[in-house]
Amino acid sequence: MNSKNVPVTIEELRRKQPRFEGIESGHRACLGCGEALAARLVTEASGPDVMIANATGCLEIFTTPWPESSWRLPWMHSLFENTGAIAAGMESALKAQGKNTKVLAFGGDGATFDIGFQALSGMLERGHNVLYVCFDNEAYMNTGIQRSSSTPHAAMTTTSPPGSERMGKRHLKKDILSIVAAHHIPYAATSSVAYPSDIRMKVRRAMEIEGPTFLQIHSPCPLGWGHDGADSIKVARLAVQTGLFPIIELERSVLIGSMPIRHPKPVIDYLGLQQRFRHLFNKKDSRAIEELVHIQALADHNIKHYNLRGEGVDTMDSDGADTVRRGGMRWA
Amino acid sequence: MNIKLTRGGFAYPGTTRDYKTGTWRIQRPEHEHRRAPCHAVCPAGEDPQAYIALLDMGKAREAWEALVSVNPLPAITGRVCPHPCESGCNRGQYDEPLAIHSIERYLGDQAIENNWDYPVTAPVANAPHVAVVGAGPAGLSAAWHLLRQGLQVTVFDEVSEAGGTLFTIPDNRLPREIVRKEVGRLLHAGIHFEANHKLGRNFYLSELQQNYAGVFLAPGIMKSREWNIDGVTPRDLHEGLHLLKQWSDVASLPEMKSAAIIGGGNTAIDIARVLNRNGVDTHIVIHSSLPDPEHPSEDDMRAIPREIEQALEEGVRIHDHHGIKRLILRGEKVTGVEIVRMRKLPDDNGRLHRVAFEGTESILHVDQVIPAIGQVIDSVGMEHLLAGRSSFKVDERGQIAGSDNIYAGGDAIEGNSGTVTEAVGNGRVAAEAIAARLKQQELPAFNTSKAITYDSLNMNYFEPAARAVQFILPVAERVGEVEIESGLSPQQAAKEANRCFACGNCLTCDNCWTLCPDSAVLKTNDIALDGSFYVFDYDYCKGCGLCATECPSGYILMRNDP
Repeated sequence: MNSKNVPVTIEELRRKQPRFEGIESGHRACLGCGEALAARLVTEASGPDVMIANATGCLEIFTTPWPESSWRLPWMHSLFENTGAIAAGMESALKAQGKNTKVLAFGGDGATFDIGFQALSGMLERGHNVLYVCFDNEAYMNTGIQRSSSTPHAAMTTTSPPGSERMGKRHLKKDILSIVAAHHIPYAATSSVAYPSDIRMKVRRAMEIEGPTFLQIHSPCPLGWGHDGADSIKVARLAVQTGLFPIIELERSVLIGSMPIRHPKPVIDYLGLQQRFRHLFNKKDSRAIEELVHIQALADHNIKHYNLRGEGVDTMDSDGADTVRRGGMRWA
Repeated sequence: MNIKLTRGGFAYPGTTRDYKTGTWRIQRPEHEHRRAPCHAVCPAGEDPQAYIALLDMGKAREAWEALVSVNPLPAITGRVCPHPCESGCNRGQYDEPLAIHSIERYLGDQAIENNWDYPVTAPVANAPHVAVVGAGPAGLSAAWHLLRQGLQVTVFDEVSEAGGTLFTIPDNRLPREIVRKEVGRLLHAGIHFEANHKLGRNFYLSELQQNYAGVFLAPGIMKSREWNIDGVTPRDLHEGLHLLKQWSDVASLPEMKSAAIIGGGNTAIDIARVLNRNGVDTHIVIHSSLPDPEHPSEDDMRAIPREIEQALEEGVRIHDHHGIKRLILRGEKVTGVEIVRMRKLPDDNGRLHRVAFEGTESILHVDQVIPAIGQVIDSVGMEHLLAGRSSFKVDERGQIAGSDNIYAGGDAIEGNSGTVTEAVGNGRVAAEAIAARLKQQELPAFNTSKAITYDSLNMNYFEPAARAVQFILPVAERVGEVEIESGLSPQQAAKEANRCFACGNCLTCDNCWTLCPDSAVLKTNDIALDGSFYVFDYDYCKGCGLCATECPSGYILMRNDP
């Protein structure tokens, strides 16, 4: 304890923190966990008047080691495959009771892209007033880093190992946002844990909307991606700045906004930090070079497709959106 | 928590706070203040990062108080210092360095305008009394720091007004009014001033040693160095410094149409600009080179590059790499000089010496030759301390070698660069040493810690922003005694302060607080004891190091957990 540094005790200080935190300290996430940070940021922006349906996955596991819980919000653990349905039921029940509490549904990419997709689709189609947040760490991390349909092309997972036959995952990352948006929902957006103010802004926006909304947050997994926990934000930021993870907003399936990239960075800056891509840096393997060029082409395609290339300096672009000021005003 | 197990699949509520994830930790984040480069290089010892932070918080007066706790003459140094702080500024590697000198000047001017009192309490009646000789920047700085240490001080000067060499700087660069106001306010803080008291004439060193508990000498170098060409000096010779003083005191100059000034220091540039403004066709002859900002060299002219640039703009002609070969006289009056190209070249032993090149001679038709080749100490009354040398030899605390606790500073000490800022620094160091001796306290060691480098900062969190520029009078309007550069507006100063990276210190940006995945960084509503605004909760900190990587100003370091 470092309480000699402040006139009050740490405990007192903790109680006086000028923000709402839906997740308490003491959770069992790994060092530098992007998902733990993203989930806390979402609850900070949503405020306390929410209920959460949480799919099976890392977030569920590390926040609720029996008999403890990190949640300071009403929280329900659903199965992998039915988060959408559970959230829909909670919302209907609250509605029947005449309550305005917003229901949030939390799931990882496995629960969202693959296993729980059918329930999610049903929830969206029925128009439930739920904000579904997908913490996208691009594989089944909790069960031991198996590929999901969100795992990016050429990434190594335990079920997509590189070798003589393949260079990591053969297939492409599923474009879940377009699929979700195709349900003609009022709001669907992506965000990244590297831009907390962007997350907050989008959560607030979604909270105001009556109807199904969807937010996909890119959250690095130091263990699964093979990078230092201290670099989580750096990695997440590079995913945005290279164009590999576009930050966009869709309303009724129409693109209405995007975070411009001031200076697009080469994808190797992003890939080189992560062990899951290390086979791409084997200079003796011609397939490695081909895959690097392929991934750069995917980034270039995103930049062109979503028109991400900024025009000069913009305070809300990929370089400006995280600018700090004395007094912390940036994060408001 | 006392957990009561139940038969069903539920537990009594308890939060994960019961489990201290801090036990996982191998390394812990710690706040560590590291010196900003501006602080490390300042000859006066200022910590610009600290006072700029206060200004950025909107606390201009506190900023000025922090500033004068080191340098009591900011309105003056903000105008005349060559600001090595800005050359060192880490922001220079990002876009442009902070305009630290403009902020310093702004704070100094604000203090004068609002008449803020110098922060000091009057010494007790029986406090030891220290004598300071010379009321130039070194003497005034020493007096101020002695006063801050709770001692009584008397400053002696041979002329009627305190300021010393500051009055030889022309008004266009440093208005007399500013010197008078700032020095006057400083004396008013509780320094006794004895005007018209010259050492060796009105009083003697031995008397000072008898009557005072300590002595600090800052006589400056007010006597021009002797000059001749092959033993010849023109009859109506005027020395640069003498002319400057005359101009400053009575605003008149001897009749002349054209002049060749010899020397490349600030005196040469100052007098050249004064003459040029008075319609004299002005040449500077100097054997060293014009500074090139891209390639600084040992052989550059010693004057401040900004001043050289402005002199050239105004039409002063500088003949660099030239020396005077011969005076062309008519009777004893100068009608011209023969100049020749010179270069510094190594001899067989690798030692540099100047070589004049035959066949490159040319004639400058001028009716005055003005040497500005430097000054020397007026040794009257201090002969035995100087022991034949032309300057005082002092140790790192300013004590004169071989003397009985006599300290010295300013231009009169050996190896001094001749800037006001360095004199201010000398004065402070010596004053602290004198005070420590009188109070029989241990002197803290000099802070020699390395400045934090650009690579230790995280540039992702900053945006390019243009440097504040002081308004500079166009050449055509630089007439009379109008000050050429004007100060910043409060808005400009605030904006400029906001550009500071806060290298090695807490920027209060909330980054660590926002980005900690474990909510193990707590925000305080006031400054924590380590000078930051945040506290690590080591009960829950897992030691991931994310806060250290993302700290924009390099204030968080990861250390092995004890």
